[in-house]
Amino acid sequence: MSFQEKNIAVSLSTFTLILGFYLVRVLQLFQTGNFNPTNLFRLWGIIALLAVAGTILVTILTHIAGGIVHNIRTKEDPKIEDIQDERDHIIDLKGTRVAYTFSSIGVALSMLTFVFGQPPLVIFSFLIFFGILAQVAADIWRLTLYRKGF
Amino acid sequence: MQKGGISNNIRKLRFFRDEMTQQQLAEKAGVTRQTIIAMEQDKYSPSLELAFRIAHIFGVPLEEVFSYHPGDV
Repeated sequence: MSFQEKNIAVSLSTFTLILGFYLVRVLQLFQTGNFNPTNLFRLWGIIALLAVAGTILVTILTHIAGGIVHNIRTKEDPKIEDIQDERDHIIDLKGTRVAYTFSSIGVALSMLTFVFGQPPLVIFSFLIFFGILAQVAADIWRLTLYRKGF
Repeated sequence: MQKGGISNNIRKLRFFRDEMTQQQLAEKAGVTRQTIIAMEQDKYSPSLELAFRIAHIFGVPLEEVFSYHPGDV
């Protein structure tokens, strides 16, 4: 697995966990009757923090762990191939396109909740959900392109 | 059938250049080894610039490295 693929795999794992965490928390807020702006925006802050800091931290830890395993197996210093070439850029752009598609559909669906008379909070929770889902879908598509080619 | 109708002789050309490694070719071409692997497996068709660069590294004309098969697209 290349450096870029590892980064995407880490991002995919992190955002899948974040998505799971978000869904569970929103469900809990609904069940306990605490689904209000204060709690939702607090959750939004936690998600943003996890997405940024969590991904960076997990990526660094993964590369350190990978380097140690590589060193133990081969007795050689790990070589990090962190350059991005044209293929990486194309795959990245194709992934971004998938993310935009998911986000657009998400925004449209979120707007639909207004039609059914839902409060603005529901729109916000849908927007966050589709934002994270878009990242997950983009990472899956990028990994697929790395594996099967294009 | 080659993907995208473009095939290449990179593997063969590397062999005839004293078994040049994929890593060596990647470093000379300024790409990652994974890109060389993807090209050799016909999983990626390079840009025109990279194609010329690879041909230049092997010191052969472009059509000796890459060939286009219109019927396979």
